[in-house]
Amino acid sequence: MKILLIIPAYNEEENILKVCKSIEEYDKNLDYIVINDGSKDKTLEILEENNIKHINLIHNLGIGGAVQTGYKYAYENDYDIAVQFDGDGQHEIKCVKDICNPIIENKANMCIGTRYLDKKTSEFQSTFMRRLGKNIISFIIKVCCHKKITDPTSGFRAADKNIIRIFAENYPTDYPEPESTVEVLKNKYQVVEVPVSMKERQGGKSSISVFKSVDYMIKVSLAIIIDSLR
Amino acid sequence: MSIVLRSVLIAITIIYILILIRSINKKNLQISFSVFWIISGIILIIALLIPNFVEWISHKLGFVAPSNMVFCLTIFIAFYLIFNMTIKLAQEHKKNVTLIQEVSMLKKRVENLEKKKKSK
Repeated sequence: MKILLIIPAYNEEENILKVCKSIEEYDKNLDYIVINDGSKDKTLEILEENNIKHINLIHNLGIGGAVQTGYKYAYENDYDIAVQFDGDGQHEIKCVKDICNPIIENKANMCIGTRYLDKKTSEFQSTFMRRLGKNIISFIIKVCCHKKITDPTSGFRAADKNIIRIFAENYPTDYPEPESTVEVLKNKYQVVEVPVSMKERQGGKSSISVFKSVDYMIKVSLAIIIDSLR
Repeated sequence: MSIVLRSVLIAITIIYILILIRSINKKNLQISFSVFWIISGIILIIALLIPNFVEWISHKLGFVAPSNMVFCLTIFIAFYLIFNMTIKLAQEHKKNVTLIQEVSMLKKRVENLEKKKKSK
């Protein structure tokens, strides 16, 4: 089983080295690739100095475009499993095993790491507003696809070969996680969730600001509803 | 419509068509993109040259005033054009994303190959 970690990074000079170190400490044979999404800080220099495998996007594409580049890379290099892993240190490397297991055991095509399934495993539960937003998106997916996804915006996900192919060809660019989950469900692939723990951000800024969240909710809801009408 | 107003409008339309032709000649605008604008210029000239043409059509279609018909038509056409532009923009955006991704990945591969060659 060839597993690839896709690590999108935008202005992550404080975290990216720590994240890569933690991966190497965890398992030396684990492949990973950092997608530098046109960072304006020293992320690229850090990647080059420390000889970290990376692709440097010549323009900023946003999280969706960056992650898709990773899936394209995984597809071209014939990986069996691709795992999305954040470059800001929120995801814990020891959970990669849990997240890959359902796919290795052929129980699912895609596996989402959820921070809400089991309250004890995660020290980071995020704010009330974020949880409310997640519940709304979760509800819309439930109505449209008849499948309960507790954490649709989680960026900690594993995908098998079929899903890698789909994502390499077509991946929503703006608000990718919920929309791509719906895409997978619509194609009748199996999606499961496993509890993972997530930490608070260790530095840098979140890609979603408070003022953008209403905009985010509207666009995501619309995207899911229109997607399910096809 | 008074003769003065009519001649001013005709003059503006002619200037518009001249600007159009100039930008096509300067290669700022490809022919395939300019079809709509050329046709709209011709229709404007015809409508202005034939006396009572606009009044006659708007009366036949049941508009209370000719200006109503003109505004109505322009707004519809403008809506259609903007919608079309949005679609074109979205298509170009998608192509752009693919281009950036592919170029970036190619760059990486070329760099790796160069490194391998050097180390040999």
